[in-house]
Amino acid sequence: MHVVVIGHGMVGSRFVDELVSRTEDASVTVLGAEHHEPYNRVLLSELVAGRIGATSLTLPAPANRQVTVHRGVAGVEVDRHARTVTASDARVLAYDVLVLATGARARIPDITGLDPLPAHVHPLRTVDDAHAIVAAARTGTRAVVIGAGVLGLEVACGLAERSLEVTLVHGGPHLMDRQLDADAARAVEHGLQHLGIAVRVGQRPREVVASADGVSGVLLPDGEHLATDLLVLSTGTVPETDLAARAGLAVGRGIVVGPDGATSDPAVFAIGDCAQPPEGGTGLIAQGWDQARRLAAMLADPSSLPGLTPNQVGTDVVRLKAHGLEVVTMGISGSAVASPGAHRAVRLSDPATGRHVEVVVAAGVVVGATCVGASTVAADLTAAYTLQTPVPSDPAQLLLRPVRGAGTEVEPSVTLMPDRATICRCNGVTKGEVSARWTQGARTVEEIALTTRATTGCGGCTDAVCGLLEWLAKSTDPPEPEAEPSGAMARRAQATSSLPMRTLQTSGPSSR
Amino acid sequence: MLPTATHCPYCALQCAMELTAPDASAEKVGAPVTVSGRDFPTSRGGLCQKGWTSAQVLRTPDRLTTPLLRGTDGDLHPATWDEALDLVATRLIALREAHGPAAVAVFGGGGLTNEKAYALGKFARVVLRTPNIDYNGRFCMASAAAGANRAFGIDRGLPFPLADLGSAQAVLLLGSNLAETMPPSSVHLAGARAAGGLVVVDPRHSPTAALTDGGAGVHLQPIPGTDLVVLLALLHVLWAEDLIDASYLAARTHGADEVRRSVAAWWPERAEQVTGVPADAMRGTARLLAAASPTHGGSGAYVLTGRGVEQSTQGTATVTAAINLALALGLPGRRGSGYGAVTGQGNGQGGREHGQKSDQLPGYRRIDDPAARAHVARVWGIDPDSLPGPGLPAVELLHRCGTPDGPRALLVHGSNLVVSAPNSDSVRARLAALDLLVVCDIVPSETAMLADVVLPVTQWAEEDGTTTSLEGRVLRRRKALEPPDGVRSELEVLNALAARLGVTRGFPTDPAEVFDELARASAGGVADYGGLSHERLDADTDGLFWPCPAPRTGEPPHPGTPRLFLERFPTPDGRARMVAVDHHGPADDLRADAPVYLVTGRVLQHYQSGAQTRRVPALAAAQPDPYVELHPLLADRIDVEDGALVEVTSARGTAVVVAHVTARTRQDVVFMPFHWSGSGSANRLTTDATDPISGMPEFKVCAVDVRRAAPDGQVVRRCT
Repeated sequence: MHVVVIGHGMVGSRFVDELVSRTEDASVTVLGAEHHEPYNRVLLSELVAGRIGATSLTLPAPANRQVTVHRGVAGVEVDRHARTVTASDARVLAYDVLVLATGARARIPDITGLDPLPAHVHPLRTVDDAHAIVAAARTGTRAVVIGAGVLGLEVACGLAERSLEVTLVHGGPHLMDRQLDADAARAVEHGLQHLGIAVRVGQRPREVVASADGVSGVLLPDGEHLATDLLVLSTGTVPETDLAARAGLAVGRGIVVGPDGATSDPAVFAIGDCAQPPEGGTGLIAQGWDQARRLAAMLADPSSLPGLTPNQVGTDVVRLKAHGLEVVTMGISGSAVASPGAHRAVRLSDPATGRHVEVVVAAGVVVGATCVGASTVAADLTAAYTLQTPVPSDPAQLLLRPVRGAGTEVEPSVTLMPDRATICRCNGVTKGEVSARWTQGARTVEEIALTTRATTGCGGCTDAVCGLLEWLAKSTDPPEPEAEPSGAMARRAQATSSLPMRTLQTSGPSSR
Repeated sequence: MLPTATHCPYCALQCAMELTAPDASAEKVGAPVTVSGRDFPTSRGGLCQKGWTSAQVLRTPDRLTTPLLRGTDGDLHPATWDEALDLVATRLIALREAHGPAAVAVFGGGGLTNEKAYALGKFARVVLRTPNIDYNGRFCMASAAAGANRAFGIDRGLPFPLADLGSAQAVLLLGSNLAETMPPSSVHLAGARAAGGLVVVDPRHSPTAALTDGGAGVHLQPIPGTDLVVLLALLHVLWAEDLIDASYLAARTHGADEVRRSVAAWWPERAEQVTGVPADAMRGTARLLAAASPTHGGSGAYVLTGRGVEQSTQGTATVTAAINLALALGLPGRRGSGYGAVTGQGNGQGGREHGQKSDQLPGYRRIDDPAARAHVARVWGIDPDSLPGPGLPAVELLHRCGTPDGPRALLVHGSNLVVSAPNSDSVRARLAALDLLVVCDIVPSETAMLADVVLPVTQWAEEDGTTTSLEGRVLRRRKALEPPDGVRSELEVLNALAARLGVTRGFPTDPAEVFDELARASAGGVADYGGLSHERLDADTDGLFWPCPAPRTGEPPHPGTPRLFLERFPTPDGRARMVAVDHHGPADDLRADAPVYLVTGRVLQHYQSGAQTRRVPALAAAQPDPYVELHPLLADRIDVEDGALVEVTSARGTAVVVAHVTARTRQDVVFMPFHWSGSGSANRLTTDATDPISGMPEFKVCAVDVRRAAPDGQVVRRCT
């Protein structure tokens, strides 16, 4: 089987890895339009922020004789009858299976002054874009970012981290309106203010002002003029469907594919951002990688298809990567929460501190969540959502992470500590035993150790034994036995021993 | 009586102790053998409760003192040694004639002394001529061994003395609960804790994780089975933030470029989705480790792995990622830094070096290496071609027991495998299908009670020998008292069986003599004991680290090798190999009818299957029963109170145990200790899926359902 892959980005390269790890029967030719080795596009905003180095983006190179990669070579024509691809270097490649992983290009908004793009105006789609933005950020002091989706927020935060004066302009009703509702967006806005980023929402720029030297400002509908040295466009992407359309494949927003990734031609498949699967393209890498995995598995073993349904839960987690701003959404979130459905939503909204947490529950599992400014809760909710673990009886418990030691389990004072409380874990020595030795005349840690072996394991309880001896010395009367403890404190005290109620038949040697 | 300097019978820390046996008159009235701590570089005179009470196992009331044979009535009956040995030999000969030599299998243990492990391997290959010998170390050290061998060309758990940890600024512990499993070792973490540099990766806030509290370090609490992803994310951050030791990587490793590329796909936010560990916690950890590493001027860092990450179907990959992390930071082979695996069983290190592993000959030699076969055959005085090839690893060996093409007889030494093996109900069924099960044991363990023939053998303080500690330090265990009448050492058992099977030479019963032969057999191998003897070890009270080759004529004795890799790695080109690995997840993952992860582990008071420690009254009283730890939110959901009985069910079985409700575990995780048999046995639930490279079973993660159980065992309410 000869497989031609057009596109050597994150999804195309992952598909090739997955395929050759599963079968030795496929020879693979890959065309990659970019001159670079495949790299992690998701991290471009981190590169812009200066948080990471460019070499850490490079993805694995195929170390496999089955694979030939042509870098800097695009596919220009597909002849589906002859089953050949003509490449930009005039090479003609025959295929049994053609995989389109052409990705998406940045959408350039229809704003006066952007055609052609003036200098210092950049989308952020490629590593070259990222380097250009970084170069402009080094010389400039002000930046405007148009589009407050995930990427726009990441870029705005990244440029602010580089000490630029940043204004984020968004035409939608509020920040991240694809994922968030207005309350959550307010919490995000609070976070942006904290980072010194100015925000203009509901404002679709009227004009981009530029001279021969490059961009100088952005004119908003309300008349405000934002002077700037750098303009970043993060106004979405457009699937690269031109080649597919010219080949006569069904194309909607993306290349139309079935659940198996097949286009209207069963020998041609499309995966990643260029594809339009039945459940809709999310533009998230997890979806593209899931498609790559499933397609590779199916090509390697056609009988495996029925078990390989799209892994939707877990591939639609949106996680902002920005220093000082935590936003995570998954499943049902934002305006979708309000729409009728058999779900229950519980929220904690605290926009004034930049915090907003909402969990959406149906049939005993998390089906959606929104977390702004609550990173540990977000990590727990993501786990509950992706693993589909049962939610607690009260889903509100998911909105807060208890501070360790909070609640009813208070740290017992020496006085209140029950005699059965373990002091030395290594040797199972209790407060009562230490007290008893003190009553018998032991006064130093060494004397206690000699008779009880407390402190003779890891030595970690030495301070506790010293404290207990001090307390015993201070007590003028010999310590009275404590009343039988109950509840949480008793359980805490019994960390290494057993409550009377915990008795089972001790399992002795069994016989056949 | 004069005190005898020896070491504890339990874990790989091998704490030093003195045993004092009562004199003859006191002995008559039942005076105890007394234990005291002895100063030593590792344990510093400390002992845990198990060590202090260890001598009580010597006097346990149900000690086996006579061979037992299973009669036609199905019960075990006392027999003489001659009757028992004759029977075993006769049956073995018959089975071998009927089914070939591979029909007889041997199962050893990581608690056996070096001498016994060596003699057992030799007995299998020379007397039984079977390839099928493996041991319970396959359950504990195989992944660490496979990872270290691949990366470094050698597998010595800690390639440095344990006390070296004391000067480190950071210690990363992955899946190790050493504060409970080897308590006196945690004293060596004091330096890292004082520097705020102890990092513990564990789904539970274990007593070891609690050592990070109060600013002493960081506890990362991943979803079980995802530790590998934590490591990949740490590696990602090191490269992304340019924190790697580039000159070390260039000079001392190869494969770094492939590893860098492979972790480009594991940025912390993606890893957070898989592990449940916040992305910034992983970033902070990577920076903490980098700051402690020599290249950034830190005072040193260590990466240590334990069973929590190794007992996994991706255990070898996880160990490899941990080693990659250590290499990226430039730690291995630098004084004051390094990577190590914290060995578990008492002689878990020596036990994996001297030939009771299915693919191995003494000296950590490979059984498929012609030069190794020739050397060992010469020492054994046999034709190399008569040596069998590699046999089945433990889980596979047990799977095949009693099957048409599998072993018909099994000889078990130093292992209570029906409690300690995964999916134990199925193991029990396999053992029942054997024609002959022979168990050498000190007490009527659960496995011994299934045997056709039980042979009562000596235990630790009743015999001489050596063990090799978690550091690769060879230690003397000394005889402190006479064994009870009727008990024989395993060296005597092997000698007697060999004679009955026609091999009258080569199985000495004196441990020192066996050790001398072991030294010759190991000479020139990876684990070279050539320069060691009981005599020399008796003269050097702190023991000696292998490799310790025999000196050439006229040269002074080799001083041993406390620290490996200082100059080069024992690979063909002297460099450590970095291998890119990826995450696949647990074999038995969560599903709608099993929505909770089970992790298993130990408690302080018990050791392994509990055959010894459950017989010590103080330990049994402190931890009498099996239990399950579950989070308060899980307990609330299934309507279970602390102390109630719950049913824990996996695809393999159900255990009924007491609920311990505690916020120490994650909400999606329950924990069970594995020291018990019977209805509360954790290993009735665990999966026997194994790592593809090491053959190690995935004890540490499987999917379960947890429900409230009525007192009579009836389910009162299904959880939703």
